[in-house]
Amino acid sequence: MPQPGDAINVAFLTDSERELILEVLRRDEDLRQAEEQRVRKLKMELLEIKRKGAKRSSGRYSERSCGRCLEPLGRMSGSSQCRACKHRVCRNCRAVCLNGSWVCSVCAKEADLKKSTGDWFYDQRVNRFSTKPGHDIVKTSLKKMPPLWKRETMGEVLLKSTELNSSQPATPVPRPRLRGVAATSNNNLPDNVSEKTIPLDVTEQQQQQQHSDTESVDRTSLHSLRTDTEPSLGTPNLPRQEKSMGRSSPAGSSRSNMNVSVNAEGLSGHTSSSVADAMSVVDRHSPSPSKRSSLLEEERLFKKSVRRVLKPSEFKSVLDLREEGGKEPEVSMGDRSKSVPGLNAPDADEEDEDIDTLVSIHRKTVGSSTSSLRGSKSTLGSMMSIYSEAGDYHSVEVTGDIVFSVRYDETIKSLNVFIKECRSLAHGDAARHRSNPYVKCYLLPDKTRTGKKKTSIKRNNLNPTYNETLKFPIARSAVLTRTLQLSVWHNDRLGRNAFLGEVEVPLDIRDLDAGHEECMALMGKAHLLQSSTFSQYKGELVISLKYISAKKPPTEKPKGRTLSLGKKPKTEEGGELHVMIKEAKNLTAMKAGGTSDSFVKGYLLPSKAKSTKRKTPVVKKTLNPHYDHTFVYKDLTPEQLKEMYLELTVWDREAMSTNDFLGGVRLSTGSLMVGNEEAESTEEEVSQWQKMMQYPDSWAEGTLALRSSMGNNKSK
Amino acid sequence: MFSAVSTMTDGDYDYLIKLLALGDSGVGKTTFLYRYTDNKFNPKFITTVGIDFREKRVVYTASAPNGTTGKTFKVHLQLWDTAGQERFRSLTTAFFRDAMGFLLMFDLTSQQSFLNVRNWMSQLQANAYCENPDIVLVGNKADLPDQREVQEKQAKELADKYGIPYFETSAATGSEVDKAVITLLDLVMKRMEQCVDKPSPDPANGGGATKLEDAAPDQKKCAC
Repeated sequence: MPQPGDAINVAFLTDSERELILEVLRRDEDLRQAEEQRVRKLKMELLEIKRKGAKRSSGRYSERSCGRCLEPLGRMSGSSQCRACKHRVCRNCRAVCLNGSWVCSVCAKEADLKKSTGDWFYDQRVNRFSTKPGHDIVKTSLKKMPPLWKRETMGEVLLKSTELNSSQPATPVPRPRLRGVAATSNNNLPDNVSEKTIPLDVTEQQQQQQHSDTESVDRTSLHSLRTDTEPSLGTPNLPRQEKSMGRSSPAGSSRSNMNVSVNAEGLSGHTSSSVADAMSVVDRHSPSPSKRSSLLEEERLFKKSVRRVLKPSEFKSVLDLREEGGKEPEVSMGDRSKSVPGLNAPDADEEDEDIDTLVSIHRKTVGSSTSSLRGSKSTLGSMMSIYSEAGDYHSVEVTGDIVFSVRYDETIKSLNVFIKECRSLAHGDAARHRSNPYVKCYLLPDKTRTGKKKTSIKRNNLNPTYNETLKFPIARSAVLTRTLQLSVWHNDRLGRNAFLGEVEVPLDIRDLDAGHEECMALMGKAHLLQSSTFSQYKGELVISLKYISAKKPPTEKPKGRTLSLGKKPKTEEGGELHVMIKEAKNLTAMKAGGTSDSFVKGYLLPSKAKSTKRKTPVVKKTLNPHYDHTFVYKDLTPEQLKEMYLELTVWDREAMSTNDFLGGVRLSTGSLMVGNEEAESTEEEVSQWQKMMQYPDSWAEGTLALRSSMGNNKSK
Repeated sequence: MFSAVSTMTDGDYDYLIKLLALGDSGVGKTTFLYRYTDNKFNPKFITTVGIDFREKRVVYTASAPNGTTGKTFKVHLQLWDTAGQERFRSLTTAFFRDAMGFLLMFDLTSQQSFLNVRNWMSQLQANAYCENPDIVLVGNKADLPDQREVQEKQAKELADKYGIPYFETSAATGSEVDKAVITLLDLVMKRMEQCVDKPSPDPANGGGATKLEDAAPDQKKCAC
């Protein structure tokens, strides 16, 4: 019986057959792109509704008001909870189902969305391929089940595959058993670093491998418990390949392409061990983290020092630039505050790599400049990262206009941005009353280095004429989702470049063929800062939380879909918090080719232990990564948990540079004052957190919208 | 309940539903789909290379349990056509997992193609998005009664065994073609409703929640 994995082998096709199939796949791609566009719009709509809904933060609302419109509820409606989200809502905010029952407007919209986006199908498919009885899993996976991202289709996979595209089928490269190694040591890393990385990963992988072997029996029984679509179990619901995805071929052949056969093969170990991975992760984290982390620290310190030397200019991006924060919060916060955008510059993540040990070095190096900039309100939110390379952008009062036009060139499939001129620019160099202006251009949200285009620099000219065309190779359909950002900068050969103003032009409503010339007034940063935490759709994060209460045999299973991890008899006083990072959806693309290499970082705050930082492995080249990784926090009492919050942030891994912030969530009981910071959570975040505390020993699963900034937003 | 829509502007639909036709080579999958989408018949046999698809926009009217008609939706159908030939098998089965419903076809004038239905079923069970996807069994070439090798009773029994609907169609005359596709679409749409209509996403934790038992009777055996 042919296995799906064999599908990847298309070597038997003749050239003309290959052409025909490619043609079909291209048609499919067109349809898929239209579909993606549609889905994106729908999700924006939902987000809009959610945002309008009240009760974002449970600390603020009264039980007697409607959870959606905030109208006071009558006495009689006491029992009218939405059966899905448990909020009490008024009659106007309900949607009646076909069977006569009702849910609140948001839940109804969510259900609609699940249907119209096809998620109902993809969710189920995801389950399918990991919920076979354990015995079967192993067998199937050995036969190379090709990995599929949740919404990915075979057409997509094949279209990307080099084999189908080249008339010369790529020869499959024999893969060593420990393939993860090649991929984990990212090709961008300097050699010495990657060498250091290898041994560590080998051990990890071996461990996982062992686990998957020994635990197959457990898995079988676990899986047989599953009866429901919703993966509310703790079990990872997809064969995920943290490593296999990024795994470009080891010897360096056709690295950039997603060679499907390679992928398929690469999956073998991981499919089977997806469940085991999660378990082994649990185990691995708990027993002796010290040994491991010391290794990591060593390695990171090393990496760090390399980078320090290479890019001293990056110091800037890691400054602690909190708006209100004149003072450093408590030490436990301080450690991680470097990494949380909105509180600080988002680019800092790399620094955070092991801030626990690096922080002292770090403080020393940046200390002076930190204090000098602190309190300046200049650098807020995730917008900062765009200006990571340089720039003091509040020293100049923005004036003037920019004249440009935008046109899509069908023949070369490129968006051409014609920069004509700027007028009446401000003085970037205040002392000498002059500017050396240039224009920088991004198609947001892509703000990678490759996505940046610049004009030439005009020396000492406040009315520079450029007449330059910046070309962005991009599919026409993709243009619609982008925003053109033009910023004008003063180039200072010695000091910092100064921000002279910018404009942002959403491209979805523009006529891309006319190429009308446009003159727009340059704006300062201020208009951006008002945008709310959720103003930008950053995708979603699917997580499951479970509090395992202390001294309670974890084998007891509340009926339904809960599942105890059974593995760990507890000896500690307090219980454990398990945070299963399942997947993220619709992340922002940061890398060329419209993908990101993402990972999730977690902090439980305020921390009582030294470090509560946890990270998932990096899942490469996808905007819908499945991490299926569990963070475990031990020795916690429910009382302690009430006073804590969990911050999960998603990052795009940038090997030679600072990581990019992709979004985050913050789970807590509501508004907590921590140190001198207020940690605010949204309604959804609160609800999941409370569910976790309310029902210990069972998984509280949820899909949370990612914030575009971790800063608190009281004005929303 | 359904009717074709003439305009096909991009993205202007409520649901994208992907169906897939499978079965032995020569049973008429391509002509069947051609008849359905374009209402035309091409008697020439042109073997499908690997995979192909056709599209059609239809209007779907959801039926409420009490028999009244509900809302109408625009459905964009992507109908995958697969090669029946063995040599493409590995390629075609890989596409099974992307489809939400299946037209399992055989040729009423070929006993062998009917015998192979069993194999196709197990292919589906192994490769589709779930173990019991929505399937419609289609016996094609009903316009050739004198060459018939498969009796309706036989086929009906097999379909009953699998618990799936059975239709005898003719791509040449168009008989029952629409009905077969529409029945499948209806099954898929119903399954979609079931998948979504739950006190999602965590009934296990929602101790006080009203359980949706009333939806149970027509629930599929599927995990959704």
